Amino acid sequence: MTNQNNGKSGFSRRATLRMMAAGGAAGLIAPNLLGKPAFAATPPETPTGRIVVGLSQEPTVFNPLMPHIEVDDGVDFSVFDALFRIDVDGVIVPNLATEVPSLENGGISEDGLNWRVHLRDDVTWHDGTPFTAEDVKYTLELIVNPDFRAWRTTGHELVRDITVVSPTEITWRMEEPFAPYLSFLTETFMVPKHILETEENLNEAAFNQAPIGTGAFKWGKRLAGDRLELVANPEYFGEGPYIEQLVFKYIPDMTVLYAQFKSGDIDLVGQAYITPDNYAEAKTLPDRVVTPEPKGSVESIYLNQDLPVFQEQAVREALYLAMDRTSIIDALYYGVPSPAETFMPPQSYYYNPDLPKQEFNLDRAREILDAAGWVPGSDGIREKDGLRLSFANSTTVGNHLREQTQQFLQQTFAEIGVEMKIDNLPPAVMWGDFWGQSQFDSVMVGITYLVGGDPDVTYRFHTDAIAAKGGSGSNNAQYSNPEVDALLIAGSREFDPKKRQAIYFKIQEIIRHDLPFLPLFVYTNVYGYKAGIEGFAVNSNTRTESWKAAAWYWS
Amino acid sequence: MPAFLLKRLMQSLVLLVIVSIIGFVVLNLIPGGPMAQYALDPGMTEADKARLAEQLGLNRPLLVQYFDWAWRLVQGDWGTSFRDGNPVLTVIGRHLFATFLLMGSSTVIAIGVGTWIGIRGATHRYSIFDYAATVGAMAALSIPTFWFGLIGIYVFSLKLGWLPAGNMYSIGDGSVLDYMHHLIMPSVVLALVHIAIWSRYMRTATLDAISQEFVKTARAKGVSERRVLMKHVVGNALLPMITLAGVQLPSILTGALVTETVFTWPGMGRLFLDSLGYADYPVVMGLLMFSAMLTIAGNLIADIVVALVDPRIRLA
Amino acid sequence: MTTLTVSQAPSRWWKSRVMRRFLSHRLALLGLLMISLLALACVIGPYLLPYDSLHIDLRARFAPPLTGDHYLGTDPLGRDLAARLFMAGRISLLVGFFAMVLSICVGTLIGVIAGYRGGWISVVLMRTVDGFLSYPTIFLLLALAAALKPSPVMITVIIAVTSWMEVARIVEAEVRSLKEREFVLAGRMLGLGRSHIMFREILPNAMGPIIVAATLTVARAILLEAYISFLGFGIQPPLPSWGNMLNGAQQYLATAPWLAIIPGAAITIAVSSFNFIGDGLRDALDVRNDNI
Repeated sequence: MTNQNNGKSGFSRRATLRMMAAGGAAGLIAPNLLGKPAFAATPPETPTGRIVVGLSQEPTVFNPLMPHIEVDDGVDFSVFDALFRIDVDGVIVPNLATEVPSLENGGISEDGLNWRVHLRDDVTWHDGTPFTAEDVKYTLELIVNPDFRAWRTTGHELVRDITVVSPTEITWRMEEPFAPYLSFLTETFMVPKHILETEENLNEAAFNQAPIGTGAFKWGKRLAGDRLELVANPEYFGEGPYIEQLVFKYIPDMTVLYAQFKSGDIDLVGQAYITPDNYAEAKTLPDRVVTPEPKGSVESIYLNQDLPVFQEQAVREALYLAMDRTSIIDALYYGVPSPAETFMPPQSYYYNPDLPKQEFNLDRAREILDAAGWVPGSDGIREKDGLRLSFANSTTVGNHLREQTQQFLQQTFAEIGVEMKIDNLPPAVMWGDFWGQSQFDSVMVGITYLVGGDPDVTYRFHTDAIAAKGGSGSNNAQYSNPEVDALLIAGSREFDPKKRQAIYFKIQEIIRHDLPFLPLFVYTNVYGYKAGIEGFAVNSNTRTESWKAAAWYWS
Repeated sequence: MPAFLLKRLMQSLVLLVIVSIIGFVVLNLIPGGPMAQYALDPGMTEADKARLAEQLGLNRPLLVQYFDWAWRLVQGDWGTSFRDGNPVLTVIGRHLFATFLLMGSSTVIAIGVGTWIGIRGATHRYSIFDYAATVGAMAALSIPTFWFGLIGIYVFSLKLGWLPAGNMYSIGDGSVLDYMHHLIMPSVVLALVHIAIWSRYMRTATLDAISQEFVKTARAKGVSERRVLMKHVVGNALLPMITLAGVQLPSILTGALVTETVFTWPGMGRLFLDSLGYADYPVVMGLLMFSAMLTIAGNLIADIVVALVDPRIRLA
Repeated sequence: MTTLTVSQAPSRWWKSRVMRRFLSHRLALLGLLMISLLALACVIGPYLLPYDSLHIDLRARFAPPLTGDHYLGTDPLGRDLAARLFMAGRISLLVGFFAMVLSICVGTLIGVIAGYRGGWISVVLMRTVDGFLSYPTIFLLLALAAALKPSPVMITVIIAVTSWMEVARIVEAEVRSLKEREFVLAGRMLGLGRSHIMFREILPNAMGPIIVAATLTVARAILLEAYISFLGFGIQPPLPSWGNMLNGAQQYLATAPWLAIIPGAAITIAVSSFNFIGDGLRDALDVRNDNI
């Protein structure tokens, strides 16, 4: 049995820094392993047992290159491999490749344009066919094939002249230097050329329903609307798998999801996890491990900068002062999440810890508004030059915690003479043009700003990323600051982590000052699993709890 | 008979066209569309979403989309789910069993219990039982199904711990007994309204029958009360019962969909809500068409059965 | 009264007898009593309670019923449940009532036209009715709710859109049977206009079934509002409705069951009141229709 346990422990912080200094490795650095010895028990010799992961949404897309949502990632990470992976420390490690290309090892040229990747020679697809550089070429070309309904194309559209040098070596050229691409490749799973090239219509291929990968688990069977079963791939080249069967069980209701965890029907609570109100009770359950872990997304009141009232710095500052975040976090969210000041997740190497802390101070908020010339009108709502200090806040219908937070904020905002109307919408309405074309006043939303742990946020904050003004990104707040624009471009072309860090610290400082969104807290998932499960680790650089199910086993 | 059948079939076809138009118009009122679910995907740009919408043909004029869809449907192609890439019929088919299981078991309960209450109410007319049954039926019709489900979960799952709070089976078990254990609460909850309807109906039917001459004759001949009732009353009421079952189909389907949302039952109601959430138009349209066909077929079969047995109906 | 004498004479006789029969229907009286009390409570209740339905007090969250002045306890934001229940009652009853008015108007209009005109107009109208009835109502309701911005007015309209068909069927059948009666023929002889005959002559005589249907439609509308608000698509907070008070209640079922029990009981009382009244009216007006 191939086993890489020893190799793994070598990736300490030192190794991280070495890799990052070498250029290329982007990522998050806070060591965040569970607070216990990584390998107290030993995994079994042959895969044994079964682990049932409960999910509140149903995985339905199994071609990893097609558009999919978070829960599908768990399947992709288990069935497929990418060239690289990102580990819990945010370090990019080889997966199908033998090493991570960098400026130092010559994998990436000095100008960042020419890439060379060496591949493993011991990898086979689930059907026994060897994996080669041809598969990599096929995958990268498929993503930009106009007839194929591909998922993300950012970065891939810059790739030119893909050349298979040998079955274990591939090179390509980038149209322009793009540092985040390495991170993007950690979520670009390789698909088998020999199977897909025989398919007539790739969008509706049989492969999409019974995928063949190189991963630790093979496709088992799927009962739509109910569960998905994967089985161990004993030929896996990497660590594991140690369990015979991996089951993803769809339980559409969060309360039932928790109840089934409590009763022992599911072994591990996956996507959407344990709700904060159940955390206190979950902690006390016997034979269960329950750990809150911050993830990469930030909840905020996201302001549309195009709205006249939000164009004034004083208003944004006053609103931020009028948010009683302590009560929101402690009472409504049961103390589970932690306060945020920036879009950058605190685990990130690029997280700026020196940003000013928000305070809840209604008097100060009133002073700021008074000074800015906003005077209370007859109904107590402030006005200035005929403009009422009133706006709407929207979120998706049926999200209880958000609804409660909105109503709570509504009350404190009213105390400083600001009217916040609540205007919630069904998801399909909310996330259509209302969001995409910035038709909202303000939105309560949790956003993951980073892709694969890379700090590049050009598409969120750059002036050219405002879709409502013809841009192609997701700068839905319509935030525009020339200084930030310049820094963002510089950051995406810089391969040296130290220099990048300085750039993103500055960006966070400016955005904290400008307040295009009012940060509430960093999302924290409450993970829960049965005490007998070993090898489970949380990786906030991925979107799924099942990013490395290969390492799981029963003690 | 063939003429009657043909006429009814033609009417049904016209109905389906109307149904599809209503459905299509309503669905296309939804502004977000299938791309909405990727709104917060960090790596997908607006350009990616625009490209996908183009590839899926969502940018074509509505009329073109409708005729394209309808033309394929005529050829037996119900389209492909945006969300899971399978043909719509396959997707629906996979959720059918759960819904039919629920509908079936609760119909059995409703007819069984309802018939018993109805006949007993009629034979013990104006008794306390009869009065309680009448008031009870009215009350049962007034209880929101989903709320009744919640109360059931509170009492039988959370307080007493007798029955599971949701799902169709326990993972790793899945025996027939296990299925039945999970089936009890949702089917009783769903059956409640229909017990009320059936009991009131059977009461009237039995009263009608009792007053008829042949029952009186049979009774005069000394045949036991029970036998007379079973043979004549139920036999006589059977035909209208079939009609009622056909007419009840949409309502029991609606009820099943509501019940599914409370008990996390993996059936068509769940599928509908999920597909609506993801704006998976082909599946939503498929479900609308499928349920309409089911309803129309239910009515049609009821009509045909009645027409077969009772020649006078044919004229109507 | 603008109706002709031909229709007035039976109308007066109708009244007294109907009243007598209705008043002798014990369940109907009970229903009338219950709904009157409930409506009264919703109107004056909020003024009698020491709490505002919107006042948030996080220190008092999840108080069980009968703690201090919170007679029915508090919700997850510490708002008084009794105050919310009464305010919610106003919304739910109003939505139910106006959804009924709308669907009765639409249903009656279509029913009268289809019944009186007959021919292709009737075919088109009644097939559309059948078309709407071929869906499980819930599908149509949810599809509409997912597509439109939820406001009380919009929810009312959505419910009406899915509730008018039964009324149309009942009215159509009634009108069809009435249009050959003497008073209609007489009106035609007198040269009265078509719309005059339809709405001034025939309609008043079809009022019995319409009134029964109206009562039952209120009951049904309240149930529908409760369901879509329960799923989160209906009335949006901070505005309370009986349905949206239940939204999220499933989550707190184990820890705060009163959040689920109390609003549901209010819905059941309101709906059964209307059903009892409807039943009484059906007997009193001698309406034979098992469909409603």
